[in-house]
Amino acid sequence: MSALSKDDVRSMMGEVLEAQGKQLPADDATLLTDIGFRSLDFSELALRVEDEVGTELNFDAPGLRSIETVADVLDFLEQLQQA
Amino acid sequence: MTSGSPRPRLPRGATNTVVARGYRGTWAELALPGLPPVTAALVDGHLTAARAAWEHAATARETLVAGAGRMDQEQADELRGEGFALSTASGIQPPTKVRPPAEGRLWLLTSGSTGRPKRVAHTLQSLTTVAADQPPRRWLCPYAPGSYAWWQVVTLSLAHPGQDVVFVEPDELGSWPDLALAEGVTAASGTPTFWRQALLGAGGTVARLPLEQVTLGGEPVDQSILDRLTGLFPAARVSWIYASSEAGASIAVHDGRAGFPVSWLDRSAPGRPRLSVADGELLIESDWSAEGFAGVLRTGDRAEVVGDRVHITGRTASDEINVGGSKASASAVRRVLLAHPHIAWAQVRARRAPLVGSVVAADLVLDTPVATAELTRWCADRLPDHAVPRRIRLLDEIPIKETLKSDV
Repeated sequence: MSALSKDDVRSMMGEVLEAQGKQLPADDATLLTDIGFRSLDFSELALRVEDEVGTELNFDAPGLRSIETVADVLDFLEQLQQA
Repeated sequence: MTSGSPRPRLPRGATNTVVARGYRGTWAELALPGLPPVTAALVDGHLTAARAAWEHAATARETLVAGAGRMDQEQADELRGEGFALSTASGIQPPTKVRPPAEGRLWLLTSGSTGRPKRVAHTLQSLTTVAADQPPRRWLCPYAPGSYAWWQVVTLSLAHPGQDVVFVEPDELGSWPDLALAEGVTAASGTPTFWRQALLGAGGTVARLPLEQVTLGGEPVDQSILDRLTGLFPAARVSWIYASSEAGASIAVHDGRAGFPVSWLDRSAPGRPRLSVADGELLIESDWSAEGFAGVLRTGDRAEVVGDRVHITGRTASDEINVGGSKASASAVRRVLLAHPHIAWAQVRARRAPLVGSVVAADLVLDTPVATAELTRWCADRLPDHAVPRRIRLLDEIPIKETLKSDV
């Protein structure tokens, strides 16, 4: 299965937040701490991406860097799919 | 090689009826296969297994009964080296080392859920855990031939007049309610997975069965399945049994509630196993245990005291899920899921995940379509955040193994 676009992943991120009664703001510069997007939510999002693309993501490849904003999440998961 | 010599007294249930594919008659009318005195009967169905069981009951010998698919070549060679003849569909292979039988010894293979199946030694007496005469019943036996649960039904029928048996072959498991209805079955024993699958797939037929006794065992028994069965069969006795090849049948509860009374812990009573809990694990000391397992046996099963009951919730080794340093209990999550009115079956496990190491994941079977978001909310209202399943997979049907379990 082909890699997901940033928009696809953004949509999934919105679903993860929505399940907890939260909203994903339009501005990708929003800090994750401001919207309550935590490690566990990131893990869930990564698993959703894995399930969708049908392959396990290699988190060791790019090295986990500082992820503070919505854009960081989207960039990182895009990078992981290409690794 | 000669067959064993006849026992001076036949089992009391010799004239009970046995129904298996290709046979309808009494135990005593079964054609004896003439097995060598030390035999591992690797069977392809219940009839072959029943014949081996009857020959064991009627003559002095040493026997192992197991499904042919349960033993690899290495294990088969080992058995022959230890004096067993192998009886299979293609004939008898003699032992490579001949020895006299340990008369009366019955070997069982453990389920192998924790590794390679092990052999444990019993006798018909140690497997016959129902002592008092029973009201006449026609039992359904869906268990795999040679398993502890299979022997429980078989020894009940061999030991007590009026206890007939109707065997269900593996390929009949999906339609057993029809078979049971046609055969007038009045008592049935199965795992919770077995009952859930039947209620989901053929609930209408199951409800028409004239059951007087419903028995569950082999897996954790939760309140939701007990409630469904007591609701469906209000006049029946609904029992759950805790038993294993090693510990024997140790707990029998008949009050329709999950768990057993706390007052049974650390109680010494003649003829009853002594039960205790240490570090969350159930310990058993029983007269019904297999040979070599006398004394306190660590069961590996998790026991949890909730109010006035002790619940056995699963294996200690697989219950704990570490979610980013916070501990979630797979059995506790499963209990919450099964309390949902439309979840027919649930399996909870750890799934490897970035950042937090693992998350809680659940496979579910629903009896009515429900949105995943609603199921997540149901859990979020009842569990700590880290224990809420982060991935939920909906299955079309309840997975069930030959053991009638689904490794929950």
